[in-house]
Amino acid sequence: MNCDYGEKLILYFYGEADGALKADVAAHLQACAGCREELAALGKTGAWLSVEGPRAFVTEAVMRAARAAVRGGARGFTFSWRELALSGALASVLAGVFAVSGRPAGQNLAWNSGLDSGLDSVEYSVYQAQSELSASSGDWDYRYSELEDESAKAEENA
Amino acid sequence: MELTDAELISAFKAGDAEALGPLMERHKAALYGYLLRLTGRQDAAEDIFQEVFLKLVRNPAAYGEREKFRAWLFTVARNAAMDHFRREGARGEVPLEGDGERPGPADYAASPEPGPEAAAVNKELGEKIAAALARLSQDQREVFYLRHYSGLSFKEIAEMLSVPIGTVLARMSRAAALLRKEISR
Repeated sequence: MNCDYGEKLILYFYGEADGALKADVAAHLQACAGCREELAALGKTGAWLSVEGPRAFVTEAVMRAARAAVRGGARGFTFSWRELALSGALASVLAGVFAVSGRPAGQNLAWNSGLDSGLDSVEYSVYQAQSELSASSGDWDYRYSELEDESAKAEENA
Repeated sequence: MELTDAELISAFKAGDAEALGPLMERHKAALYGYLLRLTGRQDAAEDIFQEVFLKLVRNPAAYGEREKFRAWLFTVARNAAMDHFRREGARGEVPLEGDGERPGPADYAASPEPGPEAAAVNKELGEKIAAALARLSQDQREVFYLRHYSGLSFKEIAEMLSVPIGTVLARMSRAAALLRKEISR
């Protein structure tokens, strides 16, 4: 095709040529076999390109999300192979982390929680009270025996 | 009487979730066809299709109603497809147009299975068309698919792609010439 109707032909085929241009291209087509072939090729390609819509679950998922959004802003369930794969991978990683780092929560838990140091303080206070009581008791015993000795000396002198 | 796109979107914004149904029904074959040709994969095309409409569901104000809904829809779809190619490229280490030795996603754009009308086209012709589309440059193919599926005017496509209308027409004309050459062999 050696004519210069390439772009005009495109506008004509897609219905974008106005009155004068449309008439001009129509007249040209009577004489140009190349342009007629090009129009035919565009027509055949257009027919070949036609497809149906996506599978039903795709549009149904959008509708569920739309109803949920209208009801209360919830996203609803949508299906995506990418998200499904990502979720599975994330779950596997988390399971692995827990499996490797898992340990019994026994004494260490109490030790690290600060509870143990609190108990130490209570224990020390009790021990201190016992010591003071014991010391007081000792002092009293000592004082009592001293009084007994003094009493015995007084009786001897008498 | 059938409601217009603008009326259906207004109804959806006002709280009628079911208004999205006819809107999606009206545009689904064209949008999905475009995405299927762009990505060359059914699962990717369906994911992006869903993503585009969910964008409207989550934020109806994203469509400002100043432009034609079809133009908005295809612009969002095109951007989502580009994001998809970037992600695929980053993960699969294959650039959009291949790396010289290996083909990229764009090189498969003409390969999806034909639809019902296409099934009527004989096998030999179908193979010729597929071969011709695969030989188009990415720019030519993009304009060709946009014009075919979106039904937008060349002026609207030029605005969407931010290029002069003359550039769009030149790409389309070269694509048509190549198609004629391949098909008439």
